[in-house]
Formats: sequence, structure tokens, C-alpha cells
Amino acid sequence: MSQQSESLFTSALKTTLPVFLGYIPLGMAFGFLLEGAGYHWIYAPLMSIFIYAGAGQFIAVALLAAGAGLTEFAITTLLINLRHSFYGLSLLEKFSGVGKIKAYLIFALTDETYALLTTTKAPDEGSKGKFYFYITVLDHSYWILGSVLGAVLGSVLDLRLEGMTFVLTALFVVLTIEQYHASRSRFPFMAAMGAGVISLLLFSPDNMLLFSIFIGTLILIAHERFVQNDLEVRNIAEQDPDQEKIP
Amino acid sequence: MMEDPAHFLVVTAVVAVATFATRAIPFVFFNARAPPQILSTIEKNLPPMILLLLVIYCLKDVQWLYAPYGVPEIFTIAAVMGLHLWKRNAMLSIFAGTGLYMLLVQLDVFSIIFG
Repeated sequence: MSQQSESLFTSALKTTLPVFLGYIPLGMAFGFLLEGAGYHWIYAPLMSIFIYAGAGQFIAVALLAAGAGLTEFAITTLLINLRHSFYGLSLLEKFSGVGKIKAYLIFALTDETYALLTTTKAPDEGSKGKFYFYITVLDHSYWILGSVLGAVLGSVLDLRLEGMTFVLTALFVVLTIEQYHASRSRFPFMAAMGAGVISLLLFSPDNMLLFSIFIGTLILIAHERFVQNDLEVRNIAEQDPDQEKIP
Repeated sequence: MMEDPAHFLVVTAVVAVATFATRAIPFVFFNARAPPQILSTIEKNLPPMILLLLVIYCLKDVQWLYAPYGVPEIFTIAAVMGLHLWKRNAMLSIFAGTGLYMLLVQLDVFSIIFG
């Protein structure tokens, strides 16, 4: 490993540390749940490697226990993870020109990785793809590791991990503050508050995130339309009526 | 619970494909053509909105109407915000906040107050 790529890796390692601490207890909870449902521990890493979606995997275990049909699995998963489509929308530009690893970056796009990728700048533009890859693959491996630990050890050890997943809440709070300092418009934060509170009140905890992102996006679009109309009206009003329009 | 490896593998494959589909949709859709203007302006405003929504999402299971009324969560978030606005050190804010929260819930500090 060259000097430069090593420091890139170290930098990614530091960036993903909170996700490490969050994914280990969460992954363990999943592994523990799957093992408790009567499945061999090897299935935990199998799901974590190929599915790699927190809420999606928890619900899959619940559906397995309920003996659901394949259609139910497909539809439930699509709805639970539909929010990821919104993540991709804001990464189209960031992911262009990252090279061959793009498919993997898309495959492994979780809430936490999205939060890191949209808030952390690569040390230099040329190594952007490599840096994103390190962050993504590190997060993915923490999740796999956590689920193995949970399935193998979870039933044996009595760990005082209660409250540790709050590390992800704290991570999101810090990243939101950083976004607040970095972005010029305050409107996205107001849209989030509105959409978040509405969704907490109206929807079940499981559905709340998807609906809040959907409502928030509608608010953003309405606001954008309104601002643009407003600008057009002002531009027309400011034009000198006697002057001929330049085509 | 019976264990049927074949069924498990099929289920895992279905869930994996469905998950990947949700992540790939925007890239497949806007690979050949540029996204419409309205989307590219939305694109810039999505990350700040989604990050705050993720914070709210983390509070989805809090029982606001029963003791301790979400006080540990709100208290710790306020502490993280205060610490971060003061020091601007992400690692410090995140780990101090998490340590504080673990103490609060494991020692059940607020149930004594509300007890």
C-alpha cells in the first residue's frame, strides 16, 4: 500500500469509527435475533453480506418466523428500502467518475454510509472514488462482523451494550450541524422538521422514515417551484417595458 | 422453527435483489440522460433534509407520553449539540454523547427523578 493510499485508508477508518461502534451492537442484535429464531449462525453473515440493510434484515427475520410468502418478502423489502432511491438521487453527480467500483458503492448504500458520503470530503478530488470505496467497504465489514458476533456470542455473553446504538443518533446530530454550517439555505431543515413531525404523528415507526423523506421531498419541490415563479415574476417586473427584448 | 437451507437462500436472494433495486433505481433511470432541472436543484437540498430526518427517525421508538418522557434522548441530543457547537470536534461530541446516554439509561437515572 502506497503512502498516499494508506493515509486515505486511515482517514476513512477515522471517519467510519462512529459507524463501527453503532454497527457492532446493531449487527449483534440482528445476529442474536436470527440465531434465536432457530437459524445456524452462518446465515447471519450470509444475509449481512448480500442484503446489507438493517431494518430490511430485521423485518426479513420477522417474516421468516411468520412463514411469509416470497411476494410478501419482495414487497415489504421494496417499501422498507425505498428511501434508498432518494439517497441515490442526491449522489448522481458525486458517483459519476468514481470508476468501476460504482456498482459496489450503489449496492452498499446504507443510511449511515450515505450520511458519511454526503458530509465528508475526500482529501483530494483525484482519490474520491478510492476514499468512498474505503468508507463503504469498512461500514459493510463492521455490519458483517457485528452480525457474526451476535449470532455466535450473543447468547453466551452478557454485554452491557444498552444505549450504545445512540452513537448513530449522535453521529447524525453532528453531521446535521455540519450540514447546517455548510449549506446556504435553511429551508431543507425546516422541511425536515415539518415532514418529520407529521410522519411521527401519522405513520408507524417502521414506515416513518420513508414517508417523511417522501413528504419532505414534496415540500422541497413545492418550495423550489414557488421560488422560481417568484423569480420569474420579479424578472419580468424589473424589465424596462420600453426596451425591446433581446432574443 | 424448522430450518430449510434452500428456502432460506431463496428468501435471502429475493430480499437482496429488492434491496439492491431500491438503491440502483436512480442510477439506472438517469444514466443516459441528465435528470430534469427540478431534480438537480432538489439534489442539493436532499442531504441536509435527510440527515435531520435521520435524527428524527432515531427518536421514532421513544415513548413521549410515559416516563421518562424521552428526557434521556432530548437531554443527550442537547448535550451533543452544545458540545459540538462549542468545540466542533466530531469524535468528542459523538463519544461523549454516547457515553452520557449509556450512563443515563443503564443507571436508569431519570426513573429516580420520575419515580
